[in-house]
Amino acid sequence: MSNYLESANQILNKIIALYSNIALMMGELKTIEFSDIYLLLIRWVFPVLAVTIFVRCVLPLLRSEPYNTVWGYLQVPDSIKIPLQHWENSIGRSKLSDIVINLPFVSRTHAVLSFSAGTWSVFDLGSKGGVLVNDERIVKSKTVKDGDTISLAGAEFRLLAPEDGPEQQENPAAWFSRFSHHFSSGKTLFMIFLFQFLGGIQIYFSMGQDANPKLLGIFLAFILLEASYFLFMMTYTRKYIELELLAFFLCGINLFVVASAVPDQIAKQLIAIVCGIAVFIALGLLIRDLGRARKLKYVFVFGALVLLVLNLTIGEVRFGAKNWINLGFMSFQPMELIKVAFVMAGTATLDKLLTTRNITAFIGFAGACIGALILMRDLGTAVVFFAAFLVIAFMRSGDLRTIAYACSGAVLGAIAVVSFLPYVASRFEAWGRVWEYANTIGYQQTRTLIAAASGGVLGVGGGNGFLVNIPAAANDLVFGLVCEEWGLIVALITVLIILFFAVLAVSLMRECKSPFYAIAACGAAAIFLVQAALNVFGSVDLLPLTGITLPFVSNGGTSMVTSWALLAFIKAADDRGRPDREGVGD
Amino acid sequence: MKLLTRRALVVLVLSIIILLGLVIFTIGYIRDASTWVTHASNRHLYTNAQLMETGTIYDRKGEILFQTRDGAKKYHDNKTVRTAVLHTIGDTNDNIATGAQVAFKEKLTGWNIVSGAYRFNQRLSHFKNDLHLTLDADVCMTAYNALKGRKGTVGVYNYKTGEILCMVSSPSFDPENPPDVQADPVKFEGVYINRLLSATYTPGSAFKLVTAAAAIDNLEDIDTRIYHCDGKTNIDGVMVTCPTPHGDVSFEQALAHSCNVAFAEAILSLGASNLQDYSDMAGFNSSLMVDGIRTAAGKVNVSDAAGGDLAWAGIGQYDNTANPLCFMAYVGSIANEGVSVSPGILKGNIFSALIKPVTGKKRILSEETAEKLGNMMRKNVIDVYGEGNYQGLKLCAKSGTAQVGEDKAPHAWFVGYMDREDCPLAFVVVVENGGSGSKVAGPVAEKVLRSAVNSMN
Ligand SMILES: [Zn+2]
Repeated sequence: MSNYLESANQILNKIIALYSNIALMMGELKTIEFSDIYLLLIRWVFPVLAVTIFVRCVLPLLRSEPYNTVWGYLQVPDSIKIPLQHWENSIGRSKLSDIVINLPFVSRTHAVLSFSAGTWSVFDLGSKGGVLVNDERIVKSKTVKDGDTISLAGAEFRLLAPEDGPEQQENPAAWFSRFSHHFSSGKTLFMIFLFQFLGGIQIYFSMGQDANPKLLGIFLAFILLEASYFLFMMTYTRKYIELELLAFFLCGINLFVVASAVPDQIAKQLIAIVCGIAVFIALGLLIRDLGRARKLKYVFVFGALVLLVLNLTIGEVRFGAKNWINLGFMSFQPMELIKVAFVMAGTATLDKLLTTRNITAFIGFAGACIGALILMRDLGTAVVFFAAFLVIAFMRSGDLRTIAYACSGAVLGAIAVVSFLPYVASRFEAWGRVWEYANTIGYQQTRTLIAAASGGVLGVGGGNGFLVNIPAAANDLVFGLVCEEWGLIVALITVLIILFFAVLAVSLMRECKSPFYAIAACGAAAIFLVQAALNVFGSVDLLPLTGITLPFVSNGGTSMVTSWALLAFIKAADDRGRPDREGVGD
Repeated sequence: MKLLTRRALVVLVLSIIILLGLVIFTIGYIRDASTWVTHASNRHLYTNAQLMETGTIYDRKGEILFQTRDGAKKYHDNKTVRTAVLHTIGDTNDNIATGAQVAFKEKLTGWNIVSGAYRFNQRLSHFKNDLHLTLDADVCMTAYNALKGRKGTVGVYNYKTGEILCMVSSPSFDPENPPDVQADPVKFEGVYINRLLSATYTPGSAFKLVTAAAAIDNLEDIDTRIYHCDGKTNIDGVMVTCPTPHGDVSFEQALAHSCNVAFAEAILSLGASNLQDYSDMAGFNSSLMVDGIRTAAGKVNVSDAAGGDLAWAGIGQYDNTANPLCFMAYVGSIANEGVSVSPGILKGNIFSALIKPVTGKKRILSEETAEKLGNMMRKNVIDVYGEGNYQGLKLCAKSGTAQVGEDKAPHAWFVGYMDREDCPLAFVVVVENGGSGSKVAGPVAEKVLRSAVNSMN
C-alpha cells in the first residue's frame, strides 16, 4: 500500500514541477511577438498542405482515361469497325502498329492514316504491295474522304467518319478514375492560395523592421493571376488544369526563394512568371494544329541559330560562363530559350518517323548547340542538351546501338574537357568528399547540406535561413534553401513534382494524337529531369556541382519562361477532357 | 503510338533513377543530418565558431554543472566537482564520447530531425533544452576524493528507480583547465574513457555472486553441503588455490570467505552451460543502454572451458571481464527482489514516470534466489568485512580481488547494496591495481554511501 502512495506522491510532485515550469513559461510569454507564435503554428501547416496539393493534383492526372476520343473508323467489309483513336495511325503487320493487319502480303509498317484540319490522308510508307484509294494506286500520299475505300496490298477498308463528330468510347479501366474524380480542382487551387499567402506572411514577418508591405502585394497579385487563369480555363476549355496547378505551386516556391534571398528582384520575378504563363498559352495554341506546328518548327530552329551566333559574338560572361546577352533594358540567357527550339527540332510526324531513320539535321543542330555551350564554358547546360538529344534521338530511331555510340563518344569528350579545363576538374575533385574541402571547393555543397540539416523536416521558417548569404543560393543551391526554410518535405515535394511532369509525359504516350506531341513531351521531360538531377544532386554532393537551374524554382527570368514553354509541350500531349466538362467546346 | 509508348520508357527509367537518387539523399539525411548540423559554420547554432547558448545541465539538486554564457562553456564553480563529474558532463572538445555534451547534443542544442535548428524563442528554449541529471554533485565529489587519485571508478544508483546518483571515473581533469594529456601518458591513461560505462575489468571473486545464484537454483543440497578446503585443489592438472586453507565450510561461508576451492567444486557440479546461462542472464556478453548511451559489454565465454579453466571462470578469473555499471545493475537486481531496473542518468518527466515501471524492468532472478543471495551478502559484511566498518548502512556486499598478471597488483572490487527502504542504493567500486577488494575498495564505498545517505535525507 505504501508503495502505491509513494508512486502517487512521486507523480504528484512531477505534476507540480511541470506546472511551475509552465507558469514560468507564461511569464516569458509577454516578451514573445505575434510573429513567433505564428511561425510556431504555421510551420506544421506547410508540409501538410504541400503533400495534400501534390496528391490532389497527381491522382487526377494519372488516371486512366475512361473515354477515348474516336476520330473515325476503318470498316472491314461485312465485318467489324476499327476505331481510329489518334490523329496519326500506323497500319501494318508489326505488333507495334496502331492497327495490326496480320496478312502476309502487308508490309510491317505499311501506311499511315493521318487526320489534320478535318481531313484524313493516307501515306504509303514505301510498302511492297502499295496503297490504293478507290482502286487507284497512290504516290506517297492522298486525301481520303468519308466512304472512300483504302486497299493495302489487297486488304480493303472503308473510311467512315464518326456518326456525330468525334466520338467517345468507354474504357474498361475506369474504376480508378471514379476514385480520383472526387478531387475538385477549385479546392486544390484554394490550398495553393493558402500555402502561398501564409508563406508570404511568414517571409514578411521574418524581415522585422525592414518589412515592405509591397512583398505581400506581390503574393496577392500572383494569387489573383492564378485565380483568373483558373476561372478562364475552367470556363473555356475542357482539359485538366492540375498540370498548371502544380506549376503554380512551384512558382509560389520560386517567389518564396526570391523573397528570402533577393527581395528586391521579386517584382521582376513575378513579371517573368506572367511572361512564362503567356508563353505557355501562346505556344499551346500555336502547336495545337499539327500543320502549323510543323511550320513553326523551322521558324524556331532558325531563330535558335540566330541566337546561338549572337550569344557567341556579343555574349557576356557571368559566373564563369559566357551565356548572357544584354539588351540594355534587360538581359537574358539565350541558351535557355534555345532549349524550346531544340525540343521542337527533334519532333517528327508519324510518316516521317516511320519512313526516314535519318536524323542528320537534328544531330547537326544538337552538335551546334552542344559545341557552342562548350565554347561558352557552360558545361552543365551542355549535359542537359546532350541528355535531351539522347532521349529524342532514341524516340526517333529506337536504335539503342546508336545511342550507346553517342554516349561513349560523349564520355570520351567529357574526359577530354575535364582534363583540359582545370575549373571543371576542381569540381570533380571535390565530388563525394566535400567535407574535406568544406571551406574551399566544397564550400557551396557543405553549406547546402548544413542548411538542409538545420531545416529539419519542418524548416526554420521562410526568411529565417542563412543559406541565402552564400553566392548563387537562389539558383544553384535552391534545394538547400527550400529545405532550410520550408523543410525537407516541401523540398522533396518540389523535386517530386518535376519528376511527376516526366512520368505524366510517359503516361500520355498511349493516348497521344501524334508522335509530334509525344516526342516534344518526352524531350521536355528529359530536360526537366536532367536539370532537376544536376541541380539537386549537384548541391548535395551526389553529383558534381554544375550550376544548373531547377526548373520553375530557381531565381531567374529566362529559366522561368523556358520552364513554362517546355511545360506547354507536355500539356499539348494531353488530349483528355475533364469528366465534369463533357460537351464544352475545345 | 504503341511504338513511341515503348520508346518513351527510357524517360521513365530516367525518372526512376532520379527517384532513387532522392531516396539515397533522404537516407543520408536521416543518418547524417545530426553531424552536418554541428559544423562550426552553421550560424543557426554557432556565432563566430562559438556555440550559441545551449541548454544548462543541472544535477538532482539543481546545481548547475554546465552552461554556456556568451558563447563560452562554463562548468561548476567548484574545481573538485568539475573534475568529479567530468566524465558525465563531457569536456569542451568532445573527447569524452559518452559525456552528456556529446550524447545529448541534440537535446542541448535544440536540434532534432523534425524541427531542425528552429527554436521557438531563445528565452523559452532555456527550459526546453535544459538537462536535469539524477547525479548528485556532492556524492560524486566524495567519491572522487575517496579514490585519492588512484585509477578506477565509483558508481551508485537507486535500485528501485534506476536513478544514477554517482558516476565517477579516475583519472580525470578540470575541464576549465584541460591538461596536456600527451605529456604524461601514464598518469592520463584512458582519461577520456568513462570507466563506469566503457571499461571492462577482470571481476575476480565479485563474480562469485553470479556463480552462487546458479548454485542456489541448481544444486539441491546447497544448504546442507559442507565443502572441505586444504588451500588448494588439483583439477585435471590445473591448480585452484586459496590464500589460506579454509577447512570445512558451508556454501554460505565459502562465499563470505571467498573460498576458491569450495566454489571450484560447486562449479564443476553445475557445469559450463549452467554457468554460461546465469552469466548471460546477469548481463554479461551484452551492453546496457543508459538513456541512449551504450555501455561496454562484459564477457563470459565458457563454451570451450572445462575442468580447471571452468573452475577459474566461475571464480571470476579465466578470461572473464565485467563492465562496472552492468555488474552494479546485476547487484541491484539482487537487492530489488530479483528485478533489474535499468539505470538512467536523466531525470524523468511524467511520461517516463508512467512508462518506466513497464519498460525499464526485467526479472533476472527468482524472488527466493535473490533473497537467499542477499542474506548471504549481508552475512559477508557481518562475518568478514566487519559490520563496525559500515555501521548503520545495513550493507550487503561482496569483494573481489582480481588477479591481472604476475607483476601487477590485483584490481580491487567492492560491490553491494544497502538494504534500507529510505536509501535503496546499489554501488560498485573498482580501484585498478589497488590490492585487496575489501580493504581498498570497501572504505571508498563506505565514504560514498554515507555521503549518499546524507544527501538523500
Ligand atoms: Zn578455501
